[in-house]
Order: sequence, then C-alpha cells, then structure tokens
Amino acid sequence: MTDARKLQGDKLSEAEAIERAKQGDGEAFEVLYSLHRRRVYSLCLRMTANTAEAEDLTQEAFLQLFRKIATFRGESAFSTWLHRMAVNVVLMQLRKKSLPVVPLEETLENEEEAPKKELGAQDPVLSGSIDRLRLQRAVEALPPGYRRIFVLHDVEGYEHNEIATMVGCSIGNSKSQLHKARMKLRESLKTSRAEKAAKP
Amino acid sequence: MNCAEFQEFLPDVIDGDRTVEQEAHLKSCSMCAELVAELNLIAREAPQLQEFAEPSPRVWNSIELALRREGLIHEPVINDPRPGLELVPPVKRGWTLSWLVPVAAMAVLAFGVFVYQRNQPIAQPPQVASSVPAPGTSVQTPQNPKNVNNTDDQQLLDAVGSRSPAMQAQYASNLSNVNAYIRDAEESAQADPNDEEAQQIVMDAYEQRAAVYELALDRTLP
Repeated sequence: MTDARKLQGDKLSEAEAIERAKQGDGEAFEVLYSLHRRRVYSLCLRMTANTAEAEDLTQEAFLQLFRKIATFRGESAFSTWLHRMAVNVVLMQLRKKSLPVVPLEETLENEEEAPKKELGAQDPVLSGSIDRLRLQRAVEALPPGYRRIFVLHDVEGYEHNEIATMVGCSIGNSKSQLHKARMKLRESLKTSRAEKAAKP
Repeated sequence: MNCAEFQEFLPDVIDGDRTVEQEAHLKSCSMCAELVAELNLIAREAPQLQEFAEPSPRVWNSIELALRREGLIHEPVINDPRPGLELVPPVKRGWTLSWLVPVAAMAVLAFGVFVYQRNQPIAQPPQVASSVPAPGTSVQTPQNPKNVNNTDDQQLLDAVGSRSPAMQAQYASNLSNVNAYIRDAEESAQADPNDEEAQQIVMDAYEQRAAVYELALDRTLP
C-alpha cells in the first residue's frame, strides 16, 4: 500500500494529519483545515462582524499555523495552539485598523446608565434558551470593543487575565466591558422578543 | 442593601463571588434575581456561537494555492508498482455526479424565487410557489425542511468517498451542519415571514449548501 493510499484509508486522525502535514502532504493540511475551519471562522466573524474580513483573517490564521506546523511538538492541544494563533491574528488586524477601544471612562458612564433602565423594566423575561440566530444578530450589533471582550470570554472561554494580556487592558476593564456587553445583549434580546410577540 | 447597591457589584455577583448581604438581597428581590438569571442565561448560551458559521470554499482554495506557492505542500510522487498502468486511461469517477453542481445551483435559484414570491404584497397560494422548481430537481422547500436532499447528499458523499475516503466523514459532517443551519434559518423565517433578514439568512444557508457541493465536487472531479 502506498503512502497516498494509506492516507486515504479510514478517517485520518488529527495527530496523523499533523505528522503528514509536517511532511508537506496537501490532503493532511485540508483535513486539519476542515476540522477547525468553522471554529476559527466563527471566531473571526464574531470579532469583526464582516464576512469578507472574517474570511481573510481565517485564511491568514491557517496560513500562519501551517507555516509553523513543523514547530508544533504536541505539548499543548493543537486546537488550543491554532485558536490562540487565530485570536492573535484577529487582534493584530483589529489593532491595525485602530479599533476604537471602549475606554474605561465610557464603560463607567454607561454603567450608571444601564442599571437605571433595569429598575423600571417591564420587558418580557428571557428564559429557557436563546434562539441562535437572534443571539448572533445581537452580538453583531454590539459596539466592537464590547463584542471583542464578550466573544473572547463568553463564547471562546478565555479568562479575564488572559484577555487582559491579549487585548492589552486591565482585568477590571475586561470585566467591566463584559458586563456592559451582556447588559446590552439582554436589552437587545428582550426588544427582539417583545417585537416578535407584538406581531400578529 | 437596595437594588442600586446590589447592581453596583453585578459583575462579581454573576461570577458567583457574592457576599452574604448580596445573597440575601438576591433571595428577597425578584427583579434583581431575574436580572442575574438573564445575564447568566446569556453567558450560558454564548458558546453555541463557537462553531456557528462556515467559511466559503474560496478560503481553502486560497490557502492551498498559497501553500503550494510557498512549497509547503509537496506534490506526491506516484510510485505505482504495476508498470504499464499509465497506458490505461484513468477512470473518471466523478463525472457521473458533475450534474449535481447545476442541480444545486438550480435548487438555490428556485428557492430564491420561492422566497421572493412569498415576500410579494399579493399573497401567493403555497401550491403555486411549490411548483417553481425546475423539472428533475429535488428542491428543498420550507414546508419540508427536514428532508434536505438526502439522496443527493448520499450520492455526493459516495463520490467523495470513492475519491478521498479520508474526507468523506468531514463532508458528511459539513452537510449535516449546513442542513441544520438551513433548518434553523427556515424555522426562524417561518416564525416571522416579514423578517427580510431572516429570509436572507435562509438564502445564505442554501448558498452555503451549494458551496459545500461545489467544493466537494471540485475536490472529487479528476
């Protein structure tokens, strides 16, 4: 059996694909891409809210990964390695674009504003589960700074100290922006639910 | 402790870092309890966005081109043990399924016509809309979201499997995901037929499905 045929046998595992990719096997690269493309692209899309930009960043993240794959020794999970690289690519791009970072002052101002709204709120209760499409739209509508922290923390599962290092802000700022993002999402989802309920 | 004092420390409360006083307020105040529950719900539901979207086939094509250009992908050396085999013309396994590309494109087009007609001010009877698809195509309609071209999918997977078994499971997963996306999008569009954005998402979902077909056949055809 030739190497090519071995490759095309049963499903190629990620570990095998990594080893093959190190040897320059095109199909192994494609297997790795297929395994992780949705996660990486979704991250890029959530962070940029722009499909064309998200595709370009996905491409860049995978290219960086594949260029460095020979240095991957397996000490950490491949997905963690790739994911961190994707996050770095996206954050670098956002910095190049001079994304307006939501300053702490603005966050604090809004903090005073938002809870007041809650005290008199008579909106429908958010319960059960949230429709994925509506959640997606609400996240896309967040201000870029809030969206970035929300995606990194609540969607991707990074801790505040990691986010602070990656983004270059304080842990307190990360916590504050996350809270503001959730409050805005809550408001947006409630409005969306109320509009839906009001329609005949 | 009143609501304003409680909400001042809401981020810590959501993280589960609560004082006895905050805990007591949470138990006694239904409004703050509701607020905390809703913020927790958002945090809990957020990971469902982790693998929500699918990049277009253009992305892999560009990556592959770049990898080849940079010499990271080495062309395989064919070392067939049977001399003379090259005299036999290669069997083109993929050609019999090449019709799936236009069929998938027609399915998307027909569904677009369906959505367009449904959005017209004058209501169209459902049977008129469902008669739009071209003859010979198995077009998915919103009335039948769960039966998403299973035969076509299977034929496609067979074609992929015959050419590249390693990728078959991946394409099966892709199709499963995109079909689930279509179902989600259609349910959302059906819940609110006047929501143009939801209709657009349905169209996008079908385009993604056509893109999966295109990519699979592109990789499968010799």
